Amino acid sequence: MDFAWLLQSLLNGLSIGSVYAVFALGYTLVFSILGIINFAHGAVFTLGAYLTYALAVGHFGINGLLADWTMPVTLPFVPALILGALLSGLAGMAVERLAFKPLRKRGADPLLALVSSLGVALIVVNLIQYLVGAEIYSFPADIFGDLPMAVIFKIGGKPVAVRTIQIILFGASLVMLAGLGWFIGRTRGGKALRATAENADTASLLGISVNRFILGTFFISGLLGGLSGTLIGVSFGVAGPYFGVSYGLKGLAVIVLGGLGSIPGAVLGGLVIGLGEAFLPSDMSSYKEAVAFVLLFAILLIRPQGLLGGRLEQKV
Amino acid sequence: MSGFFENYGFLIVTIVQQALLGLSIYFPLMAGQLSLASIGFYSLGGYVAAIMGTHPALAPLREALGFWMFPLEWLGALILSVILGIAVGYPALRLRGIYLALATVAFVQVVNVAVLNMPIAGGAVGLFGIPQAFESRLDYIWFFGPLFLFALFLVWRIGNMGRGLAFFAVREDELAAGAMGVATTGNKVTAFVLGCALAGVTGAMSAPFLNTWNARQGTFDASVTCLAYVLIGGSRSIWGPLCGAALLVSLPELLRPLKDSRMILNGVVLVAACVYLPQGIMGGLAALRSRLSGRGGAA
Repeated sequence: MDFAWLLQSLLNGLSIGSVYAVFALGYTLVFSILGIINFAHGAVFTLGAYLTYALAVGHFGINGLLADWTMPVTLPFVPALILGALLSGLAGMAVERLAFKPLRKRGADPLLALVSSLGVALIVVNLIQYLVGAEIYSFPADIFGDLPMAVIFKIGGKPVAVRTIQIILFGASLVMLAGLGWFIGRTRGGKALRATAENADTASLLGISVNRFILGTFFISGLLGGLSGTLIGVSFGVAGPYFGVSYGLKGLAVIVLGGLGSIPGAVLGGLVIGLGEAFLPSDMSSYKEAVAFVLLFAILLIRPQGLLGGRLEQKV
Repeated sequence: MSGFFENYGFLIVTIVQQALLGLSIYFPLMAGQLSLASIGFYSLGGYVAAIMGTHPALAPLREALGFWMFPLEWLGALILSVILGIAVGYPALRLRGIYLALATVAFVQVVNVAVLNMPIAGGAVGLFGIPQAFESRLDYIWFFGPLFLFALFLVWRIGNMGRGLAFFAVREDELAAGAMGVATTGNKVTAFVLGCALAGVTGAMSAPFLNTWNARQGTFDASVTCLAYVLIGGSRSIWGPLCGAALLVSLPELLRPLKDSRMILNGVVLVAACVYLPQGIMGGLAALRSRLSGRGGAA
């Protein structure tokens, strides 16, 4: 266990973990307001990656309805990323309107919202497959222009690689987390959001338009989901329409690990799982996908409310 | 009529098989526990049968037992499911609601990664060439049919004796049930293990039915599909899982002419069913019946 390996793993873990945190915050925001897990979040994650790909690269492959179709204009990466995230936010709002609002109006069993959001996920994922096929899309290597792919340092004679994408992952996540923290902690809108999360009925009595805030929350949630989808897509390639499913589950592990509904908890959970995966010994790397769930199962048994969750109350 | 069974035999047997998985979620739900672990036990049960059916070391045993090898595979899956069900159930059932659901999802994911990494389970390719019990797929109804009837009998029987009342008491209010002297943990674990055992045996019957077995049998999507059978069929009726499975299994077949867009419509049906049939198909039928009889009484 040399110092270079330690540093490399720490770097890998922090950069991927910060994206997990951003993605998981999308779940947390919706959960804290509605008390429901939005299973379409992974589909919005996938959608974000495809939207940014369309905006930045401009054409799709050989299968599907849109094969050989080309966008009239393409954007540089950063504007494409921002626009893709905003469009994902709109997709998040569509998910609310389709899967959650009709059920809320009828006062249906919250379990059904879980199934209906899965129905929406099924629609989105298969629509993507129908339109652009099931193949793997990789963002081109020159997506960041003249920036080098990676910078390699020598520490104690051993190389430590800092990939450009890792800096971007970490930087973009930090900006999103800081922005969200400022919005929730410092603005009127954020205050109203916290009030709605605390008690929606009381909040509506105090003149907060609850439905509008729920819609706004889904917009932010979709934006976070789409952004993290693009970032992970640039890092590993977008592996087909089902790309978001495993990340969707991992995001669930993140929020439960940190404490369901807790915003600092989601950040901590993301970093813990990212670091857990990065520090897995290389001869066990085929078990990487299980790390998040083993940690989740363990924390539920030791501390069911998660690392930073409040006490679980029993209703009598 | 025989043409109908030839064409749709596979579909009919699949409906019963999937309804069994729905029932395996229904058991813990009777005691108010939402568990998605079933599909993990289904996957493991299938692996037990696939390994017992194909492993070269067991060839003499298969020679000796012939057809009786299949019940032995079921027994193997049953024993494994019960032991593992108790081992997972005791710690996990301290959790409730969404936490329990997520813990069981984590269990399914860990099982999936574990079987992908076990050489005996054939890795990502899985196991194939599993010995067949019957020549025709339709004949597998002799496996699934009796198990389904037995599971239904069990649900009906439990609902009509003290144990069922204890289950329902735990479902309605766990704290109050505990205060009345109902052994809440024991009842929760019993309901959970019943579901695990049913899913495990269903898996062991399914491996020869499907001929191959791989990690794709135990995905998260499959877990949620099973939950959808129960919720769309009706979670308070023993016929709910069958109704839900019949609808959701046959839907892609019925929509086959639509080719690529049929999975999109599958999603639309899922959303529409949640919005317009919140009590499930059975709940919707009951409401319709009471409305009709109400009108009849007024006339």
